[in-house]
Amino acid sequence: MASSSSSVRAPFGLTAVAVAIGLIFLGPFAYVVWRNVDLGTDLRSVLFDEDTLHPLSQSLRLGVAVALSAAAIGTGLAWLTVRTDIPGRRVWRLLAPLPLVFPSFVGATALLAGFASGGLMEELLAPFGIETLPDMRGFRGAWLVLTLFTYPYVYLPVAARMASLPPSLEESARLLGRSPVAVFRTVVLPQASSAIWAGTLLVFLYAISDFGAVALLGYDTLTEQIFADKLFDQPRAMGLSLVLGAVALIVVIAERSLDRRRRRIEVVRSRESLVVPLGRWRWPAVAVVAGFLGNALVGPVAVLGFWAWRGMTADAASVGLATDMGELVGPTLRSAEAGLITAAIAIVIVLPLAWTISRYRSRVAGVANSMVVAGFALPGVVIALSLVFWAIDAPLISRWYQTLPLLIIAYVLHFGAQATRAAQVAVDAVPRRLGDAAATLGAGRARRFFSVEVPLMRPGLLAGAGLVMLSTMKELPATLLLAPIGFDTLATEIWGAGDRGALAQGALASLMLVALSAVLTWAVVIRRIEHY
Amino acid sequence: MTHGSLCRVRTALLVVLALIAAACGSDSDADWSEDSPSILLYSGRDKELVQPLIDAFTESSGITVEVRYADSAELALLIQTEGDNSPADVFISQSPGALGLLAGEDRLATLPDDLLGLVDAGFAASDGTWVGLSGRVRVVVYNTGLVDPGDLPTSVLELAGAAYAGRVAVAPTNGSFQDFVTAMRSELGDEATLAWLEGLAVNRAPNYPKNSAIVEAVGRGEVEMGLVNHYYNLRALEADPSVASVNHFLPAGDVGSLVIVTGGAVLASSNASSQGENLLRYLLSIEAQSTFATQTQEYPLLDGVAAPDGLPALSGYTADTIDYDLLGGGLTATIELIRESGIEQ
Repeated sequence: MASSSSSVRAPFGLTAVAVAIGLIFLGPFAYVVWRNVDLGTDLRSVLFDEDTLHPLSQSLRLGVAVALSAAAIGTGLAWLTVRTDIPGRRVWRLLAPLPLVFPSFVGATALLAGFASGGLMEELLAPFGIETLPDMRGFRGAWLVLTLFTYPYVYLPVAARMASLPPSLEESARLLGRSPVAVFRTVVLPQASSAIWAGTLLVFLYAISDFGAVALLGYDTLTEQIFADKLFDQPRAMGLSLVLGAVALIVVIAERSLDRRRRRIEVVRSRESLVVPLGRWRWPAVAVVAGFLGNALVGPVAVLGFWAWRGMTADAASVGLATDMGELVGPTLRSAEAGLITAAIAIVIVLPLAWTISRYRSRVAGVANSMVVAGFALPGVVIALSLVFWAIDAPLISRWYQTLPLLIIAYVLHFGAQATRAAQVAVDAVPRRLGDAAATLGAGRARRFFSVEVPLMRPGLLAGAGLVMLSTMKELPATLLLAPIGFDTLATEIWGAGDRGALAQGALASLMLVALSAVLTWAVVIRRIEHY
Repeated sequence: MTHGSLCRVRTALLVVLALIAAACGSDSDADWSEDSPSILLYSGRDKELVQPLIDAFTESSGITVEVRYADSAELALLIQTEGDNSPADVFISQSPGALGLLAGEDRLATLPDDLLGLVDAGFAASDGTWVGLSGRVRVVVYNTGLVDPGDLPTSVLELAGAAYAGRVAVAPTNGSFQDFVTAMRSELGDEATLAWLEGLAVNRAPNYPKNSAIVEAVGRGEVEMGLVNHYYNLRALEADPSVASVNHFLPAGDVGSLVIVTGGAVLASSNASSQGENLLRYLLSIEAQSTFATQTQEYPLLDGVAAPDGLPALSGYTADTIDYDLLGGGLTATIELIRESGIEQ
């Protein structure tokens, strides 16, 4: 058996699988291109129009700003909670990924109710002489909301990476008398850089494709324009979708070419993880982490809790207010089911692709990978419609229309990106010598894969699976359009309640979503990364 | 250790397979059989409101109705994309615009006259492709702590004036606002409509994505007033009776006091159109129409059913001067006009 190295060509089988995966993920793009041709969109006039360029520049500005702040926060939190002796580490590790599960419109609504002028905070702060809080609308609010709810895209992969980094370098640096901050900058940051980049890219793609928060906060982006035009100006909506997809592809390809030049750092398995003593910085660090999670998680939860409490204690005579926990049991189970299945399938599908790219530097796989990642930037409704388009009268597939398998495919197409970058980081981390050593000892390929390589990749793969799971549980447009009849999830419950202005029931469903996320994130991701 | 992790991978795979099998198994429950007629409804209206009506319909007619609940505009896109293969039989929409779009693409069947005749001619499509089911009136919602009732407009046209700069929230990308602007175009012409929109743009009217967001913002005092449909504030008051937002009804006859209907249609591709028509007929029965009035405080469109308590009578707000077909087909031009005005910031 040939030893794997970057000079060796990828086996034909792996390349074929990579091409097949790329083709599946090409579906939504092909649909958008086809719609543009079919509608006769004049792309030049759509693109070189002040009404397009302005929202485009707003999207890019927001995307870059959110990506930078989320990268800083996600990386900082990961290091503090995984590599230092910060008090309450276990609690922080459980809470830190959770803000990702807030649908952005819920987060934005809660933020507005809490912090906007006339909101709950103003009432609380009024006795202290603070009368008006800064205006949350526009860029500032959109940037804040998206940063608070997307940093877990960086946090999870980076935390998984840091949990499996060789402590030796860091230890030597510390023994040489470097301060924790210097160790972080010179040793940890370079080691975690590929995971940081992976997460930052996801944050950027999410931010440019978000609709819920930007719409609610009155910040005009390309995605907001697509939503405004989707029904009655379809040529423009489809033209803009193509622009959005192209922006995503360019960014993904640029990031990939940077990534190819980065050096790989392989992990080793060591039972003892290195803990950096923070010394006198311990409690200030706690204050920072608690303050941040207070805003990203506790604040929104408190607002939701207030609404739910108000609804449950209200006069029973007021109709439409009734909040009913029992009605949420079914949606909770279905959300969990959708999230778990999608996460598992996404990981299984993208792993061969990640393996091919990382081990063989295959260009074909690189192209396929770009497709997978860029699909994350298309609005969910476009992904859903593309599946309708491909599946509705296709032989063999059409019988799956509006059933769970097709819905899961839609989720995987939309969120595969979150698994694929994490999987790549995970594969990169597997030392090649190990596989070779096992081979010389006569272990079969499959046995080697499952017994040597999978355990090493596990933290990275679980981080990716966790991201996919959380995203799936809050997904709305594809769920509404493609789910089997009656497949209500917590996300659709929240949407329905919001649609009819039933704050209390919506808040209760949102709290349930947060609780379910906490349980699943702990059971599926955190616990297993820690017991690595 | 080796054996253990192999086992765990296998267990995980088995769990996933079992979940998929369970999910596929549950689909077969939905097998449609010949002797119990069944139809599929795409509802752009809320489950809480629609499902009880559907259940009552099933009980009285023996027709099973499966329902997909989603946003009206997105359901219209779904029907459009599904084309002739759409599994849906009936579509209920929050706004006539989405129905008009589908009618323009020949996706909707012509309804029988007895069904169309249940409502005033102004509340159904003139080509008979859809029928109105309930009505909502456009209002100015305002914060009682911030607005002196003497400052309230007597016509929506006044809101473009300098006196209202920065004080009135709008939802320019929302279907109701687009329907309303289309009606304004049909009544005042494009030039006057654009001038009004530009006035709002100069006023930097705060933008929100939808009616409910405006009502919330007005309630907490973030903005003084907002242009919305009447029933959102009634909902907000139910959730929190102390909220400071109140509906201001513009005088009947003002272009701002438009009635926007929700409507229902049978799909041209449906092979159960008579059952679909029966469902619409039921939604226009006294029983169902009263539910609209009491549950969501919308205006019933069937003659002889009382309007919700405490609301002005619909008779003052007849919409028969408004051409709803223009509301459908003309929406592309409306959206271009709205964008051109610079109101979206």
